[in-house]
Amino acid sequence: MTILGSVWQWFTNPANWQGSNGIPTRLLEHVQLSAESVLIGALIALPVGIVLGHYGRFGNLAINISNAGRAVPSFGILVIAFLVFGLGDLPVIVALTALAIPPMITNSYVALREVDPDVKEAARGMGYRELAQLLRVELPLAVPLIMAGIRSSAVQVVATATLAALIAGGGFGRYIIDGFAQLNDAMTIAGAILVALLAFATEVGLSGLERLLVPHGIRLLMAPAVRRAATFKVA
Amino acid sequence: MIRIERSVSLFAALAAMAVVAAACGSTSGGGTTSKGSVTIAGFDFAESSILAELYGQELAHSGYTVNYKLRLGKREVVAPAIQAGQIDIYPGYAATDLEYYNKAAGEASGDVNATVQKLNGRLQPLGLEALTPSPAVDQNAFAVTKATQAKYNLTKLSDLAPIGDQLVLGGPPECPARPFCQVGLEKTYGIHFKAFKALDVDGSLTRAAFANGSIQVGLVFSSDSDLNKLGLVVLQDDKHLENADNVVPIIRTKVATDDVKAILNKVSAAVTTAQLITLNGQVELNHQDADAVAKAFLQQHNYFS
Amino acid sequence: MPSRLFLDAEDPWVNWDWLLNHVPYVLDALEQHLVLTVIAVVGGLAISIPLGLLAHRAPLIRLVVIGGFGAFYTIPSLAVFALLVPFTGIATTTTAEIPLIGYNVFILLRNVVVGLDAVPREVLDAADGMGYRPRARMLRVELPLALPAIFAGLRVATVSTIGLITITAVIGLGGLGQLINQGLQENFRTPLVVATLGSIALALVADLALSAGQRFALPWSRQA
Repeated sequence: MTILGSVWQWFTNPANWQGSNGIPTRLLEHVQLSAESVLIGALIALPVGIVLGHYGRFGNLAINISNAGRAVPSFGILVIAFLVFGLGDLPVIVALTALAIPPMITNSYVALREVDPDVKEAARGMGYRELAQLLRVELPLAVPLIMAGIRSSAVQVVATATLAALIAGGGFGRYIIDGFAQLNDAMTIAGAILVALLAFATEVGLSGLERLLVPHGIRLLMAPAVRRAATFKVA
Repeated sequence: MIRIERSVSLFAALAAMAVVAAACGSTSGGGTTSKGSVTIAGFDFAESSILAELYGQELAHSGYTVNYKLRLGKREVVAPAIQAGQIDIYPGYAATDLEYYNKAAGEASGDVNATVQKLNGRLQPLGLEALTPSPAVDQNAFAVTKATQAKYNLTKLSDLAPIGDQLVLGGPPECPARPFCQVGLEKTYGIHFKAFKALDVDGSLTRAAFANGSIQVGLVFSSDSDLNKLGLVVLQDDKHLENADNVVPIIRTKVATDDVKAILNKVSAAVTTAQLITLNGQVELNHQDADAVAKAFLQQHNYFS
Repeated sequence: MPSRLFLDAEDPWVNWDWLLNHVPYVLDALEQHLVLTVIAVVGGLAISIPLGLLAHRAPLIRLVVIGGFGAFYTIPSLAVFALLVPFTGIATTTTAEIPLIGYNVFILLRNVVVGLDAVPREVLDAADGMGYRPRARMLRVELPLALPAIFAGLRVATVSTIGLITITAVIGLGGLGQLINQGLQENFRTPLVVATLGSIALALVADLALSAGQRFALPWSRQA
């Protein structure tokens, strides 16, 4: 039986679609872990990055946090979280949130900085006060780059969530680790395919969300800046 | 142009670093009068590192150049490696190795000599052999917390059969496929667990799972040094699922000269189960190094000279 | 709250005694880490620069190559390491380097292509006007001008690689990841903390070194 054949068999085996080790369960676990981490991370990172970017303060710090954040080994953070919090979802979410924050801070900072100063001055001239200017003028212009940061963070979190299996976590990483331990290549490959698909779906889904949120004219304007947001592999 | 030369020289430096790095990565022993070179591997738990170090250091003391590949992985990884000649020796366990190489044919028994004989029958066509087994035994054992024991009044594994569907089993990820693990519990004891949780080989994940109640029954090693301290009780293997898992070095026939075999057998003979438990304790509880602990043991025995 | 410190309540986050006695052990792991990093990054460069030059010229190649390596990039490293073991062996440099180099090629390739794309049309025309033939123009005008983008990619690739190498502990290597693994298996905090901090420090130092290297090689391209 060829490798592809056995992978096909694995996917078409109904037993793999039900129960606590079935694809729907693992999918839900993986999505839950990833989504919670990105959400919590965004709740922390976006306000910080936006405020810093608006006032233009601590710019170097914001960028350096991102560099330092990229330097953190995901495996190490996960194990530390396990030794502190024990088993379960909490250590995974803590670790993934920590990894999700740096790119979102940097991107939202840069996004606010990139807003054309002329536009800000025009807004001032029109009588916008601080908060209104931020919310109604700067943020809409900054959304593309902010969304790019969230998107890149989310894709990386989905990939890193596979490591949760190393500390007895669930998600698709379970198929990879268990397949490796049991010499079941079909399971390992299936796990890899499932995570890759999920990462791709995350990318596409969040791009779609961005399309909804960003006015057409601004999207055309900001196109070059968005391309600068690079994905970054930590797992 | 200056700028090109600068960047070219920078990249050349990087490339040179890569070459040096690749060369550095494979430093050879370069012995003065070495009797030959052997590679010893260990499984990914402390006891295996200790045993590998014991065998390795004794060989080194006798003049061999020894390379170590410790914490290499599970048997599913180590066995192909030795068959491919990537490693020469690993400290195996008689019954478990037999059931691995005979694809769970069920030949192992409580008689260690018979088990090793059958093991050698399986190993010979692969160019391997098993040496003289050690008196030291480490077999799979299944433990519960004292609380669980009290709740269900458990003393032996058969007691689990009626209540299996209320309990979660914890063990390494390969346990559901291993004859001495979940497969054996189902076939020999008729225990069908509610669920299986993939953890590790009796390491911190398993202990954490016991501690937070996500498993009630867990795979542990019978030679573990701290079961009592953790409040874990081993259930008696009344139907003898686990067999003669004496420590026995598995070696490639090409490397198995009489001298090497004699050296390894000397070490095997000197290690008892009690001593193994003590050595395990020094590493697991006191966080000492496997190689230091092995060295102390060998020095105590004057390297058997 | 369930007891987290279930085994070693007295295990400090850094046991200085252990650390001072295990300097060679830590340095060994660090060396393995460095070796793997250098091979991965140089390998990535060696492939991505020629490939990038090709992709820059031919849009079809660009699509195929960036798409192909991009697809590879989305596969989690854990899966690729696990899948290669039966073919390229356990704890071998090859098993570790194939995915690491592959990921770096994707990162660097995009930067090479973007860098080449960014060379202004006027410069190319001027070079043609000065008599440069295509290959000479490529090597002595376009590539040097693309270097800032390549360096940016180099920094990202290096930091990323250093983090990914810790995951190779699952297949018997790991560099500093071995200490992380030890911390996990033995419930022992010190090697874990030392390795995590060490990996972060290594990545930051590498990033700084490359940044300095860029300023040395390309003094005309100072960037923030």
